[in-house]
Amino acid sequence: MRTSRTLGLIMIAPAAIMIVLFFLMPVVLTAVFSFTSMSTATGISGGAYQIVPNALIALKEEMPEVVQQLTEPRYVIDEAGIKGVERIELEPGIATELRENHLGEVFPSRREAERVIKGLNDRPSTREVKQISEQFNRSVANLRFSSKEELFASLDKLGFKITPEQKESLADATYTGWSWTTENFSRIASSPDMAQVLFNTLLYVALVLMLFNTSYAMLLAIWTHYMPDAPATIFRSIWLLPRITPVVIYVLMWKWLAWDTGFISTFMGKFGYAPKNYLLDNAYNAWLFVVLINGFIGASMGMLVFSSALRAIPKSQFFASEVDGASRWQQIRYIILPQMRWPILFVTCYQTLSLLASFNEILLSTRGGPGKATEVWSLAAYHTALNNYAGNLEYGLGAAMALVLVIIGIILSLAYLRVFKYATLVARPLIED
Amino acid sequence: MTILPTLKCMSVAAAILASTSALSFAKDLTVTVWAGGTGPNDVYRLDAIDIAAEQLQREAAIKGEDLKIKVEKKAYSGWEDFKQAMTLAAEAKTAPNIVVTGHEDIGPWAQSGLVVPIEDYVDLDSWPLNNIYENLMDIASFNGMVYGIPQDAESRPMFFWKPHMKAIGYSDADLEALPEKVQDGSYTMQNLLQDAKKMQDKGLVQAGYGFYPRYTNGPDFWQFYTSFGGTMEEDGKLVFDKAAMQRAYQFFADAVKQGVTKKNHIGMPADQWWKEVASGKAGIWHGGTWHYARYVNQEGLKDFFGNVVFTLIPAGEGGKANTLTHPLVYLMTSGHDKDDTEIAAQLIKIASEPRINVLHAVKSAHLGISKSETEIELYSSDRWTREATERLLPYANAMPNNADFGTYWNIMWKGLEASWTGAKSVDAAVNDVEGELKSTLGDKIVIR
Repeated sequence: MRTSRTLGLIMIAPAAIMIVLFFLMPVVLTAVFSFTSMSTATGISGGAYQIVPNALIALKEEMPEVVQQLTEPRYVIDEAGIKGVERIELEPGIATELRENHLGEVFPSRREAERVIKGLNDRPSTREVKQISEQFNRSVANLRFSSKEELFASLDKLGFKITPEQKESLADATYTGWSWTTENFSRIASSPDMAQVLFNTLLYVALVLMLFNTSYAMLLAIWTHYMPDAPATIFRSIWLLPRITPVVIYVLMWKWLAWDTGFISTFMGKFGYAPKNYLLDNAYNAWLFVVLINGFIGASMGMLVFSSALRAIPKSQFFASEVDGASRWQQIRYIILPQMRWPILFVTCYQTLSLLASFNEILLSTRGGPGKATEVWSLAAYHTALNNYAGNLEYGLGAAMALVLVIIGIILSLAYLRVFKYATLVARPLIED
Repeated sequence: MTILPTLKCMSVAAAILASTSALSFAKDLTVTVWAGGTGPNDVYRLDAIDIAAEQLQREAAIKGEDLKIKVEKKAYSGWEDFKQAMTLAAEAKTAPNIVVTGHEDIGPWAQSGLVVPIEDYVDLDSWPLNNIYENLMDIASFNGMVYGIPQDAESRPMFFWKPHMKAIGYSDADLEALPEKVQDGSYTMQNLLQDAKKMQDKGLVQAGYGFYPRYTNGPDFWQFYTSFGGTMEEDGKLVFDKAAMQRAYQFFADAVKQGVTKKNHIGMPADQWWKEVASGKAGIWHGGTWHYARYVNQEGLKDFFGNVVFTLIPAGEGGKANTLTHPLVYLMTSGHDKDDTEIAAQLIKIASEPRINVLHAVKSAHLGISKSETEIELYSSDRWTREATERLLPYANAMPNNADFGTYWNIMWKGLEASWTGAKSVDAAVNDVEGELKSTLGDKIVIR
């Protein structure tokens, strides 16, 4: 017994690892990211400490003396620096000339120090100039330190007189990386744009789900149910085409249909209508196309599920009802629909979750436009975290938005499980008792 | 008879020795270069590095070094995909050696350590770097450090379709004087809307085609903010001038209200926009100097100067006529071997030489980066580059290199889009922008 259990664990291990890596980890990472201020500017892998003019401006009031010290000219040709030059073993004349002619000179910037170095008789190469000037650097300006300790050590080494408290403030002000925060969530809660995006999402899911993924799918299933087998199969196959066509090509075909040199414009032109971009002409049009594009793709899954569920209904029930003189509508109402409760619930549940998370068709067709009219939550999260013109990708905020979606998904899943009475579905069959 | 084999043996040995000694100086290197927003006219952004590699190899050969550089080039036609690819690659430590991007990326990328300052590797006092316009070098700097080398300059003019302007009463002399009138402020944004309306009323262009702005987000829209008196940055701090932004938003809302701009203009297909502005389907529009190359090379507008007049962006209430330059810059990413980065820096330096850069300037209708470039015949004999340089460049502003500017930009664009499409009233949009700026940027932005 024990052996079989161990064996079971071993056999399930690859799947368990996959689940952890590809299902659990992304959610955990999204949750972690969502509590940070990560963006392009802060980087993901953690920040550095860099004393830059802007950081010093912020500290000017708090510690004017320290700021003064840090902004003082700090390229000094001193004996220690010249010894350093000797150590890097360049032409010996370089160190000699520096000692003889330039000892004690102070420069406000590296560029000015380098001008002197470039003027030496043994004219060093650009690379050597950089190596030499580094020996005379007595400032921490613009250098990047990977840790606080390195920054403090450098400050101490260069003889800056700074108290430990001041050092901490300096470290805080000069940190370039991200920090932990709950601000992303307050931004989501308070932004009117987010409310609009949420409304768009609800509208999108509700329209596609109700009009196509369930109703239209059911209609197709019933239509084909009453058809002879051969045309029914052909009909179902045709309805699968949107699902199996690569999405980019499929959406491109819609665009060709709708844009102002496309089919609709040409056709309407025959009746004297000026050509226009029907897809993006106004928000209503954009919504119409978004719903149609997604609906035609999504309807096929419901159609397949419902068709197979229909086949499971015993034919005798239909025959009996016909004998009793039932019309088609009565068959649908009293035989088909009552027995399709579970497939309908399943399709509704599955499609709600997939619609909530899907945005590729919208991205490819309207990019969320016109304006932000068709921007749904998942697309907004993508635009925030991974794709925008200004290039400042807000990973933290985007992750927070994604997390909201994950939470909504989990809540809905649990709700659906309750509706489905999952416990009864997985209960041990009575026959085995 | 034994001499020959001995000689043979010795010469083989010498050859092996020579090859090993040559190997000690040999360096085989692949330099990767990525460029954003790069179409068929902008190939020299990447090819210039190829030419530079050829030159650097020859220089190395003279010094007795065997340097072999292979340049791997990748052009991205858009910006979003490029910036996404670049930032994610850099975070994964697989960034290209050199990137060509908008200068505004220097702020965030430098702060997060994705790029390294080029001044650590090149001598800025030497030619050709000391010949590049100083203001462009400033634009390529952040926190007092030079991070990149300007790859090109440009500016963003307002274009008018001459035949339509004539049809609403402008004479040739009036059109000739138009750039001057815009510059001195006697032709304003209000006049522009009026002219656009006249074109529509006369049936010269369809409704919504009188003023046909850029159809996507872009730096252009900051020009309108400047036109209405706005300031982007002061003393290293971002500035949000509420009243100026309100006037700029109002301008677009008015354009839509008067019917000269389409309410749902944003997001239209790119090809359609280009075709329409280059064929007289639109009356007045704004674009960039590089548009000239596309109109002439791809869109079939052969007689550009006969059909189009270009000016600065006119002044609006409270502001002045202006244009914006948005230089792309060569940047070097971190995470590479120091020697390789140094070679990349040398390549950028050589690619910035006037003769090489002028190929890009003229082919793509961008503007030159240095004074010497304007003296090269290819450049000075080209009417477009010459006139655009003289008429626009002296009045050009640039967006600030500030790590938080991207955030400001996103929020500003969101507000503009909302007031343009009527999703929000102008007042509500500006108030929302103010609120969002306060909550996201706090004291990093001055609101007035």
